[in-house]
Parts: sequence; C-alpha cells; structure tokens
Amino acid sequence: MWDAFISLMINVMLFIYNLIGQNFGWAIIIFTVLVRLVTYPLTAKQMKSSKAMQDLQSSKEWNDMQAKYKNDKEGLAQKQMEIYKEKGISPFGSCLPLLVQFPVIIGLYQAIIRTLAVTPIQLVNLSKHITDGANLIPINSQFWWMELSEPERLPILGVAVPVLAILVLITSYIQTKMVTPTGGAGDNAQGAQMTQAMTLYMPFFMGYLAMTFASGLALYFIATNLATIAQYVITGQANFKNILPKLPNFSQLGKK
Amino acid sequence: MIKNKKILFIIILAVVALTLGACTGRRVVATGWSGITVNEETVYFSYGPHAYALNLKNGAQQWQFPAEPINSVDFYAAPVLADENSQLLVAGYDSVLYSVNPVNGSENWSFLAAENRYVAPPLATEDGIFAANSDNSLYALDYDGLLQWEFETEDPLWASPIWSENCGCIYQVSMDHYLYAINPENGKLVWKSEDLGGPIVNNPSISEDGLILLATFNNEVIALDEESQQVEWRFQTSDWAWATPVIDGDQVYASDISGTFYTLDLHSGELLWQVQPGGGIYSSPLVQDGMVYFSTDTSSLVVISQEGVLQRNQPVDGKLYASPVGAGDKVLLAPSEAEYFLVALSESGVQVWGYPPPK
Repeated sequence: MWDAFISLMINVMLFIYNLIGQNFGWAIIIFTVLVRLVTYPLTAKQMKSSKAMQDLQSSKEWNDMQAKYKNDKEGLAQKQMEIYKEKGISPFGSCLPLLVQFPVIIGLYQAIIRTLAVTPIQLVNLSKHITDGANLIPINSQFWWMELSEPERLPILGVAVPVLAILVLITSYIQTKMVTPTGGAGDNAQGAQMTQAMTLYMPFFMGYLAMTFASGLALYFIATNLATIAQYVITGQANFKNILPKLPNFSQLGKK
Repeated sequence: MIKNKKILFIIILAVVALTLGACTGRRVVATGWSGITVNEETVYFSYGPHAYALNLKNGAQQWQFPAEPINSVDFYAAPVLADENSQLLVAGYDSVLYSVNPVNGSENWSFLAAENRYVAPPLATEDGIFAANSDNSLYALDYDGLLQWEFETEDPLWASPIWSENCGCIYQVSMDHYLYAINPENGKLVWKSEDLGGPIVNNPSISEDGLILLATFNNEVIALDEESQQVEWRFQTSDWAWATPVIDGDQVYASDISGTFYTLDLHSGELLWQVQPGGGIYSSPLVQDGMVYFSTDTSSLVVISQEGVLQRNQPVDGKLYASPVGAGDKVLLAPSEAEYFLVALSESGVQVWGYPPPK
C-alpha cells in the first residue's frame, strides 16, 4: 500500500521532470506546490479549527472557567468538553487534518530521495517503482549550484556556506511564527512554554536536517515553507506581528 | 506535565529525524554491492567502509583497507590487480582511486582528480589504468597514479572500460546511451556508436570475431559489429537489461531485472531458451565446469546446465546482486545485508567458509 503510494508520487514527479525539460530542482518545487494545492482543503480545515480554538482560548468565558476550576482537573476537563460541544469545536479539529497530511509529506520526501538514485542499490529500488521512465535515467540532479543528491554548500570567499540550510531555518522560523497566535490573556503557562520551545527549536532542527541530508530535501523544505506562508497570507490568517522578536518596552524599563 | 511535554517533543523530533535519515541512503544501509577479485591464494573484495584481503583456502582475513573506517567512504567496486600484481586498485565512493599493496594493504598512492563515485572497477592494461567515474569522465593514469588524459561523456559512467585486441582501443559505455571507442594512448575518440536507446550501466563483452554485446535499460541486448560499427542484432527483453551479457561458445547469456534469464544465439540474437526462477537479475552469470551460476535479488543462487536444465535453486542468506565468482573448485558469493560478507561454496553448494563482518 505504502509502496504503491510512493510509486504514484515518483511517477508523477518524473512526469513533471520530463515535462519541464528534465530539471529536477523545478520538478521538486512544482510537485511540492501541487501537493500543497491538492491537500489545501485539509490545510484550510486545520487553519479554521486552529483559529476557532485560538479565539475560544482567548475568550473571557474560557479564562473564567480556567480560574474557576484551577484546582479541579476533572471538572475543568468536563467543562471544556461542554464548551467545545456548545461552540461546535472539535478539540482534534486542527490535529486530524495535520495527521492526514503527515503521510503525504513523508511520501513526498521519500519520492524525492528515491528518485535521486545515484548509487546502484538506489537505482535498483527506483526501478521497482517506475513504470516508464528508463530513458529519464540518470536523473539530472544539478540545480543551479546544487547537487540535489548531496548536502549543499556554496563556497563564498573560501568558506563553504550552507545557503539552503540557512534559508530553511529562516523560512521555518517565519512560518512557525506566522501561524503562532499572539499571546493572549488566556494562554496557560504550559501551552505558552511548549509553543515557545517549538518556535525556537523547530527551525534549528529543520536547518540541521537541511544541512545534513540531500539538498533536494532542503529545497522541498523551502518550497513547502513558502507554500504554507503563502496560504496563510492569501487567507488573511498570517500573524505578521509575531515575526520580529518583541523588543523591550524602554519607556516601561525607565520607570522601573 | 511540562516535563512530559518536553519529552514528547524530543521524541517527536527523534522519530522525524530517524524517518528521514532512514531514507537518505547515507551510511545506514549499503548503497552498492560487493565486487570480488581472486588470484591463486587470495580473494580481494570491497564492501562498505573497507576493501578486504582474505585467504582463499579458509576465509581468514589478511588485511583491510583502510585499517580504520573513514567517515563517508564506501567501497563497492571490485579491487583490481595491476602492474604484474604489484598494485591493487581500489576505487571508492569518495571519488578517490587508491593503489594499495596487495600483500599488506598499505597505500601506495591515491588519485584525487575525479569528482564523483567510482561505481565500476578500473581497467588495468599495459598502457596504464583506465578508471570510469560517475562524474561522466574516463580517467587514464600511469602506474604512479599520474593523470595522462581524461575523456568526457554526457552522463555518469558506471561501467568499466574494456580492452579490444581487434580494435587496439578501449570501449567505454555510458548512461548517455552511447558506446565510445577510445585510443588508449591519447584519449582521442576513435568511433562512437549510434544512440543505443537507453542507459548502459555495465561493461560490454566482446566475442573473438568482433561482436560487442551490451545490455541497455531500453529492454534490449544489442550486438554491435566492431568492424562496421553498426548494430548487428537487437534482442528484446521483458524489462531493463542490467547485467553484462556473457559469451559462452556460440551462446550468449543475458538477463533482465524482472528475473528472466535468456540464452541467445551469438550470431543471430535468436532466443534459444529462457528460464525465470524468480527474483530480479542484476549481475552476470558464472560459467564453470559446464554449469551456469547466476544470482537473484530474492536470495537464491540458481544453477542450470548449459542446455537450460535447472540443477538447483539454492537459498542464500542476504540479497544477491553481485555476480558469483569462480575460484578453483569454489564459487564465491557476496550477499548484501547478510550474516556473511563473503561465502565460499563447493560446486555442490555446501558452504566451505563464510567471512562475517569484522566487529
């Protein structure tokens, strides 16, 4: 089942690769954008659920409830479920579409790596997936200065700079910040800490992956980050205020 | 609660890293299959981070090169004895061609000019060393490792060059669909075939009367005449033809990756018989003492008579991508992902010794 799914993705990617003049870099970008478009209904649902949840959690009703049941976990949970039901919000509404997308993202990634077969075993594995693509082999894995099957470095003034990894880090940071709600009165300490950890660690983690693995993966990360940012901007849900780090309020500091 | 969430977050990151890492073809799994070379007393083979020398009689290790694994360096091409057996040429995935002492595995010299993997073993002749690289180029070196010339094709070279007595030239096939005849002294093109229709990843073979036989990913076995430089015949296979066709008298043994093993008439390309024992075939057969041995990726060594009668289909631990190699009365197998890196079988199929991965 999984293999059939990967085969489908590989063959679609090879179709695009052939269609656009055998440029695998552009094939990755176009394929990533196409996959994002196809999965857009799920993303939209996730965004909608997420927004509804954010609105609810910053409402007075929610904060009052948190305060009222702060020493009664069971009562709090019960009351939360009642409010979810009343407002028609599913607590998993923002998670489920994400879970459905996860195999698609992993599949897309595997399709990219498997198609970039640069060793005999990789080519053996690829041969088991493709239906009619023998003449496309070897895949042209050069894209601008990059060899897409290898980790990327661009020599600048004698220093090998991981340009793609830096771009992955920046776009991951922007994307994570853009979709993170501004801290409201209803934020609980645990949730805020978790969110902070995510926004701090995740871009570095993604950057590390991009620096270590094949640059085709880094290109995919950048394309998917930019596609996500574009989706949030187009739907008016981008949170630009969060992108720049919050500066201390100097007038307040002076008063202290 | 906060602590639990942090742990969960770290676990998620680790799972994602492992998921991605498992698919990248880095050092987690083998990316090629072993090449084997045998002389009277020693078997040399490459697999993963080392090339090894073993005693042919009992499989005891004599040395390994490099002595300690070097990060990101893998060896899969068969080591090649050269310069009257005074050098062993070991070509790596690190784009370096090493010359080592066959007696103790110490390094003589290394050639660093290539830019990509060496998938194929080099060719060693009186004229020098000819090493095909995945950077699309064929490099000619002298026996001190100095570059003499470089010949460039359009696509990666995964096949070894071969020497032709008739032509006095070397033939190099490429993934760019062409066969090139090259002057070994200066690297000039002597002639170039027509577009052969598909990538070629293994070296051709040449018959005594000048037929060049090669296998392509365009599902074909093709015979080219050396003299006329034209295609003499084409035989359609049912899938990609990966392995070098082997000439045995007036017969040619060929195969495809769907697992069909074909015997063709050398001069007409007509099918004489075929068998399909199961599993893909990626390597050439061994013809020894009237028997034909070939391996399949579904872990079996198939033995048939030269008339096509199945003698045995012997299960072997691991995947068999590499060709079986004859060594006197033994047959050597180099399975991938197996308990042993190298296995010596008697002709009746009994394991004589096995070389396990060093700890």
